[in-house]
Amino acid sequence: MTEAALPGALAGRASRRSGGARGLFVRVAWRNLWRRRLRTWLSAGGLAFAIFLVSATVSLQGGSYRGWVDTATGLATGHFQVQHPDYFDDPAVRHVLAGGSALARQLGAVDGVVGVAPRAEAFVLVAAGERTFGALALGVDARSEAAMFDLPQRLVAGEFLPREDSAFVGTALAANLGIGLGAEIAGLGSTAEGGVAALVLTVDGIFETGQAELDRSMMLAPLAAVQAAFELGDGVHRLAVNAADASRVDALQPALATATPAEARLLSWRELLPEIEQGIRLDRISAQMIYWLLMVVVTMSVVNAFVMTVFERTREFGMLLAVGMRPNAIVGMLLVEASCVWALGAVLGLALALAVMLPLGVVGMPTTMGVEGMDEMATRLMMPDRLYPLVSLDAMTMAPLVMLAGTLLAALIPALRVRRMRPVDALREEE
Amino acid sequence: MAPPLLLQLSWRNMWRHRRRNAILLAAIAVAVAGVVLLNALLRGMQADMENSVIDNLTGHVKVLRPGYLEDPSIQRGFDVAAGWSEGLPADAVAGWALRVRVPAVVMSERETRGVQLVGVDPAQESISFLGGVAVAGEALSGREDRRILVGARLAEQLETTVGRRLVLVTQGADGRNREAGYRIAGIYRAEVGGLEQVFVFTGAEALQATLDTAAVTEVSVRLADTAREASVVERLDAAFGGLDVYTWRQLEPQAAQMVKFADAAVFIYFVVVMGALVFGLVNTLVTAVMERVRELGMLRALGMRPRTVVAQVTIESTLVMALGIALGLLVALGVFAAVADGIDLTAFDDSLASFGLRPIFVPVLEGRDVALVAAMSLALGLLASFYPARRAVKVKPLEALRR
Repeated sequence: MTEAALPGALAGRASRRSGGARGLFVRVAWRNLWRRRLRTWLSAGGLAFAIFLVSATVSLQGGSYRGWVDTATGLATGHFQVQHPDYFDDPAVRHVLAGGSALARQLGAVDGVVGVAPRAEAFVLVAAGERTFGALALGVDARSEAAMFDLPQRLVAGEFLPREDSAFVGTALAANLGIGLGAEIAGLGSTAEGGVAALVLTVDGIFETGQAELDRSMMLAPLAAVQAAFELGDGVHRLAVNAADASRVDALQPALATATPAEARLLSWRELLPEIEQGIRLDRISAQMIYWLLMVVVTMSVVNAFVMTVFERTREFGMLLAVGMRPNAIVGMLLVEASCVWALGAVLGLALALAVMLPLGVVGMPTTMGVEGMDEMATRLMMPDRLYPLVSLDAMTMAPLVMLAGTLLAALIPALRVRRMRPVDALREEE
Repeated sequence: MAPPLLLQLSWRNMWRHRRRNAILLAAIAVAVAGVVLLNALLRGMQADMENSVIDNLTGHVKVLRPGYLEDPSIQRGFDVAAGWSEGLPADAVAGWALRVRVPAVVMSERETRGVQLVGVDPAQESISFLGGVAVAGEALSGREDRRILVGARLAEQLETTVGRRLVLVTQGADGRNREAGYRIAGIYRAEVGGLEQVFVFTGAEALQATLDTAAVTEVSVRLADTAREASVVERLDAAFGGLDVYTWRQLEPQAAQMVKFADAAVFIYFVVVMGALVFGLVNTLVTAVMERVRELGMLRALGMRPRTVVAQVTIESTLVMALGIALGLLVALGVFAAVADGIDLTAFDDSLASFGLRPIFVPVLEGRDVALVAAMSLALGLLASFYPARRAVKVKPLEALRR
């Protein structure tokens, strides 16, 4: 106990200089920390390690979820869709919404909507010469589709629906049909009444998404052509609606729900792409398990550090009790010491997390990380090329707050022993 | 000093501070148990994913004609010579199936849909999900059964039922379309609902007759012993010259990547959790050394060599670690036994249930993962004792005794 700080002895001097007992408390606690420098650094280091890892990973998760949603909804799905109530469970030609253009205007007028893409679609047999393949004919408004979605940009040859009888087909479908640009194709299907629907189109563009299923079985055509062939009039099967970005989706939902007429159904991407939402939730649960494990292990290390501290300072506490300091004041001082250790760890951990994540949030992090075979997977999963961590207040405060609670608890457990100490016994304790 | 004596010394030292060592042991145990259990959960998800991919008519190994993947038509079929399977190692293979799989368009009175029409021999399909589905109505009776088996969801959407007919259009061997009516023998329900919309089954021979061919489009092999995959691939390569032999990893790279990730994850979990533990471990060990400065000084003065001091600190740290690992593995085994039937993740997030898929994961405890975690932890314990041991060696006998 060569350099023990004695609050009682110092009290007179300190209170004259600074703002009374509370400032003194913190100063003494701070000095106490440096009596065992290595221990303090190790405890703070553990806290910083946990806070850095959790805050950084939460930011990365936030960024990658946003990336998943953007890419998944950006290809063709959209943030919302307004459909015939039965179309989602049973995509039949007859489940059509009448008055498509009026509905598109109505939805487009909602504050926060940046685009509306009306679509009519039907399954057709696509024939070119002797060859026939099944495909989904998606009737789209070329202008809104090109403005809102990625699929028109996946063009590998020609143009995206330049004319009223253009077709935009996948590479695999074109290969299977044995056709190229300029070829004439016929799409045959059945109308809602059971009549024959025929689409006669010219291939003006070819796309490749990298997803075999889409490249093999999808064909885009002008909305009016599909509506005419299937005798839909102004009817559409769905209207894709986009907000400015994925983070504004939830805020837009109520206004869109009001604007959606009673005979239609509003679906958000969460319902349209349940596998994405489910993937996010599963990912979040498994990440949380490891966060908690990490934070519990660090808390236990801090408990141990304070057990050792209290044990070593038994004589000191005995003396403080003997000169009249109340047990609660000693417990309080230990808690202040714990808070100081936490503050050190939190500053270090957060500084590190911000130093790594803020620049990455600007330049992005390559998703594939140069791992062999990941490029192909990224295409198949429609993953964005770069991952931009989402640094948010939530991401940066969760871990520090949990660790503050953990650290205080860790100090409190051994500190409560002080209340059971009897000064005489404590003073007799050998060091 | 003799090793047994050293061991005894270290062991006794450990008990000098029961409270602190108990907390350290508990922390090690929590960390080890946590890493092992998280890994078991991930292995469970991995096995689940692998199984569902292999069940999904993929099998472990598949023979296809070059170009079939890009253009899955009967023109990309091939003939199978009798006796091709004789060279397969019987104990490594669980079963195989010959299939005729072509894209088709199904038409009911009101609807037109794209499906995969698969001609099968029902007796061979114990190797795929088809062997385990519940069927309303009748199952296919054999290779020559001309009727079809339709998924429940597709049947609902087409508003059709057992005994009714469906018209299917598909391309024949000559490139021309075949339009034919098929009676529905039964309606199947698959565990993965999406499959019900994709696959329509009929007898392989009956479908070959319709398409005017004797060819099949795929030979799918399920292994009983996945370790012998390479030898099976080799046999198939020899038996089907000029054709492509794929493993499921090549056919489903996405699922294969996930499985690979699970192999790496055990290291990530370990580094993260054990990294956190190191701070506490070093803290305790350093304190243990500093408390004994006088004692160590005395021992040095009596002639104990620095090497022995290092050995003592290292043995003590390894002992604590070994005890912690043992305790952690016990806890992990206990928890594992309690959840061996599966963990329902809806307990963590009830909205998961609304996706129509019950996310129940059956954890899989693999011996090599457990051994790896234990070995790495022990190595970590040794590594963590390096700094405290150095401090212990630096103790100068005279100075220490004077304190």
